[in-house]
Amino acid sequence: MSQDLRNAPTTKPAIAEALRDIAAPAAGATAATPVAPAPSDMVTIKVDGREVQVKKGTNVLEACLQNGVDVSYFCYHPGLSSPAVCRQCLVEVVGQPKLVPSCYTPVADKMEVVTNSARVVQARQQMLEFTLVNHPVDCPICDKAGECTLQKLYDDWDHKGSRTEFDKVHKPKMADIGPHIVLDAERCILCSRCIRVCDEVAGVHQLGMAWRGDREQLTVAPGQRLDNPYSLNTVDVCPVGALTSKDFRFTLRAWELYTVPSVCPGCATGCNVEIHHGQGEVWRLVPRENLSVNKYWMCDDGRFTYKEIRSRRHSGARIGSGRGLPAQAVSVDKATSFAAERLSGTVQKGGTIGLVFNAQAENEALFGLSQVAAKLEAAGATVRRYVVGRKSHPERADKILRHADMNPNTRGAQVFAGAGAGDADALRSDLGKGALKALWMVGEDLPFDDAVLVELAPSLDALETFVVQAVHDSPLVRRAHVQLPACTWAEVDGSFTNAKSMVQRIRCSVSPAGDARSHMELVSMIAKKTRWVEGEAWQKSPRQAFLQLTAAVQPQDGSAGPFASADWGRELPPVQLRFANSRG
Amino acid sequence: MVFGMPTPDEIVSGAARELRSRPQFPPGFGEDADDDAPLPTEPMTINMGPSHPAMHGTVRIILTVDGETVKEADVQVGYLHRCFEKEAEYATYTQVFPYTDRLNYVSPLLNNVGFAMAAEKLLGISDKIPERAQYIRVLIGEISRITDHLTCVGASGMEVGAFTPFLWMIKCREWLWELLEELTGARLTHSYVRIGGVAADLTDNFAQRLRDVLAKCREAMVDVEKLIVKNRIFRDRMDGVAVISAEEAVAYGWTGPCLRSTGVPYDVRKDHPYLVYDRFDFDVPVGSTGDNYDRFAVRMEEMRQSMRILEQALDQIPAGPFKLDDPRISLPPKSQVYNTIEGMIGHFKQIVDGVKIPPGEAYSYTEGGNGELGFYLVSDGTGRPYRCHVRAPCFILMQSVPKLIIGAGVADIIPTFGMINMIGGECDR
Amino acid sequence: MSKADLDKLVAQFPSAIVSTHSNCGDDTAVIRSETLLSVMRWLKGSLGFDFLVDLTAVDFLGRDPRFEVVYHLRSMQSGSRLRIKVPVACSEDGPNPAVDSVISIWPAANWQEREVWDMFGIKFTGHPDLRRVLMYEEFVGHPLRKDYPKEKRQPLIRRDYSME
Repeated sequence: MSQDLRNAPTTKPAIAEALRDIAAPAAGATAATPVAPAPSDMVTIKVDGREVQVKKGTNVLEACLQNGVDVSYFCYHPGLSSPAVCRQCLVEVVGQPKLVPSCYTPVADKMEVVTNSARVVQARQQMLEFTLVNHPVDCPICDKAGECTLQKLYDDWDHKGSRTEFDKVHKPKMADIGPHIVLDAERCILCSRCIRVCDEVAGVHQLGMAWRGDREQLTVAPGQRLDNPYSLNTVDVCPVGALTSKDFRFTLRAWELYTVPSVCPGCATGCNVEIHHGQGEVWRLVPRENLSVNKYWMCDDGRFTYKEIRSRRHSGARIGSGRGLPAQAVSVDKATSFAAERLSGTVQKGGTIGLVFNAQAENEALFGLSQVAAKLEAAGATVRRYVVGRKSHPERADKILRHADMNPNTRGAQVFAGAGAGDADALRSDLGKGALKALWMVGEDLPFDDAVLVELAPSLDALETFVVQAVHDSPLVRRAHVQLPACTWAEVDGSFTNAKSMVQRIRCSVSPAGDARSHMELVSMIAKKTRWVEGEAWQKSPRQAFLQLTAAVQPQDGSAGPFASADWGRELPPVQLRFANSRG
Repeated sequence: MVFGMPTPDEIVSGAARELRSRPQFPPGFGEDADDDAPLPTEPMTINMGPSHPAMHGTVRIILTVDGETVKEADVQVGYLHRCFEKEAEYATYTQVFPYTDRLNYVSPLLNNVGFAMAAEKLLGISDKIPERAQYIRVLIGEISRITDHLTCVGASGMEVGAFTPFLWMIKCREWLWELLEELTGARLTHSYVRIGGVAADLTDNFAQRLRDVLAKCREAMVDVEKLIVKNRIFRDRMDGVAVISAEEAVAYGWTGPCLRSTGVPYDVRKDHPYLVYDRFDFDVPVGSTGDNYDRFAVRMEEMRQSMRILEQALDQIPAGPFKLDDPRISLPPKSQVYNTIEGMIGHFKQIVDGVKIPPGEAYSYTEGGNGELGFYLVSDGTGRPYRCHVRAPCFILMQSVPKLIIGAGVADIIPTFGMINMIGGECDR
Repeated sequence: MSKADLDKLVAQFPSAIVSTHSNCGDDTAVIRSETLLSVMRWLKGSLGFDFLVDLTAVDFLGRDPRFEVVYHLRSMQSGSRLRIKVPVACSEDGPNPAVDSVISIWPAANWQEREVWDMFGIKFTGHPDLRRVLMYEEFVGHPLRKDYPKEKRQPLIRRDYSME
């Protein structure tokens, strides 16, 4: 470490590399490949004496960050406009008398930028001192502590003691400004990021500044509440603990959390998220940068999908006589043996078997099911395939992120079920006609109201064999002869295919509830025990399944198929938020 | 077999045993049998441990014995495994100190110092530690070495039937621990050392109290030597038992008093001086035969040398700060932490994110109670070790225990094991 | 002092060396795993590194090659020290990686190699008795691997403690 620890910026840790990997677009994000722009688009500038090439129109701050030069900032955000209100990003531009806000200054050819001179560092420290003058001593009770930009910048750059003797200005604390959000105006450093998120991302003006000088404070616009469907993004962009999420506050401290990159299962958009988990539970989902999917944002509904991981779980295998009668709890091994016996019995007798590809399940399981279907058809059995999922909500669709299709993997289910697959209505009418003798559902979701399910009940009860792999318990699951416990998306390694046909990795974060196994493992167990499919690569591990499925759906003519850019990615070490540098 | 009081037949030295190996029978016994034929024996497997009253660590030895002679031995450790290395990967560097206390728990401060020096080596501040802090580290380290050796040699007497030396030595150890308790706030798990120095300055009357205690310890050691050094039972059970040559000891990775008992004068404090050890006048005692008695004698003499170092350190210790004055490494004063946001953040980041250490790797080694105590740290630039490996001296010593006890009597296992001085916390980590 | 030894090593085995550094004063050579035994024999025989101080491994999950086996050597004559590192590759769902055992050169490697096998699942070819040493035989997984969750629980093993 350098001689002068006091003024040296903290070394960029190697873990940042791992995190960058997490932050990088997940598998399939094709737009991530950087295309070198034409030379005429580039300008050459000097940053701290080093010549770098950047695109015309970038601002100085971005140019510095792209080239690994650390410039502190509060109000700048890559997804928002730059108002230059915080003055934390001041740098020296040779030839200009005053320091300039780097987030507001576009690069010009031959510009010389200095970010580490004594003058710049002093300006940075003075800005921090100003910001801290009225900041309450709240860290021990503040939800942001540990992932707070103000803490991080003070720790990186300042480390000077306080010089003030007078009382701090008091402002409203614990102001309830929306259904999901609490405001603490004292902690606010007036960066205006949240105002811009509402204006520029959600497209509604719900937040604003009131008063002037050191009395200035953040407030909701008159007669408004912060209730847009993207409101929780304000909590993510808040560099301090002024805006906190009602759902997450006072649960776990930031430094107790681990982060795992994954994909939101809430709708077909497939927003990239980080799962924050600790003590064996998932506590929140936060958006992860992917410029070709969700940029830096996600919707409020998506954030709450984590609650399904621990509610109404079907966590132990049961076998019984179906029809909603009490079933016997058994081991998964025994239940799959029973399922295999019943299914192969029905197939041997020549009964039609229905295979349900659920759009909530991951690609690997659906691929496994398609392999089983292919083997059965080759052996002469009558197989019908259906793609089902949760009910669509056209009213929630908007042009920002929210999609009407509430399933994360509809495209994947369609690919693996094949062209001849029916939809949920086909399943309903086939059941009504009594066309199926056996039904094997990978996933329990159906897009029907309760009334329809009641109407379907007699035809389900008439099935000779009804096997369901269920994540959640429901009356439908209880009608099955074999009720197998399946993992949620947060408990497995696999992939989802979103509405744009991008294959994105999901990763295991917490251990499964009870006896639950992944859909893929359950499909594989039944396939092995029925002796329909044995010893194939996909049955070994999710990664092998992924490799096999990407090869299998590749068109023979060499053109780019639906999974052309699919990539499993590499294994990630566990990342603790506390050692991953504060983000804000 | 009976442990406890040795029968006259057992009180024979290794050489004498040769002469008396043929069984002695009362007159007239088995006159019609062939007296000269040895009694037919067959190997028997017995299980010693994991909880055996005569073993002071939790360890299991599966013995194959032929009569009283050990034919095969499989030493199984791990009963005290606490995932030190795994836990350390999930804790800040400062949070690792309490874990190191529990490695060699009879000399916790030596482990504290060893770990702090590894972190400082990786941080590149080894030469910036204030002198007073370095002297304090020497003082507490040498006190810990004495407590370590007191426990070991005290127990060695007890294991062959002499209970009094154990009580006297434990009494000395208690005086030293009382002193450390006053200094660090804890009798055993001190967690006193920090990166960049130590947690608090010496107490006011520390020097005088230490000198008093050392004087009393010297007396006790003389008393103990009077009791056991010329004691026939003790010498016969220790002399010539579990001999190892210098070459073998090096090949098996021995360090510390056990290695020095074979005549190899390797002591990290002399060969690679760290802290301020190059400023003291002290000797490295070595043995000549590498048997249990040598290991006992080396430890007795090392305690005397440690006392010499302590007295010199007390004379030389300068005034000054006891930790590095750097806001990234040392915590701000509590008055600032509770009353200003600046102090609060400084404290907070250091506690939560830890002291950030630049990416790299370092192996730092010190002379622990049982030998070279090494810490191999790999940092990825964050506030916690990416990998923290301990070179635990007694883990490496333990792997050669089968070699020492095969061919010896069952009763010899206990003093041999005692003189290897396996400390479960360090061996199993 | 030992920098000279490092230079000699580089001169003797130029093709075996992947990289070298002397950060923090620790002279280090990263060598290719297939050359391990010949390099180690030469180090002991010609440069007098007769003392294997420490043997351990590090898991760099996500990097290729994933593991590094680390040897710390000391010469009892000259007192110089050297660190040798051997990268060992392992695929995500492939078999356990393996590296040659140095037990024939330094008997001290015995338990240390067993510990690395126990904790990281790296096999040592030629080790006569490669069993777990700190964990029990029924333990599933290798706990110091980075993908082994710290909180993971293992089932309680009931053992028959009667004499075998």
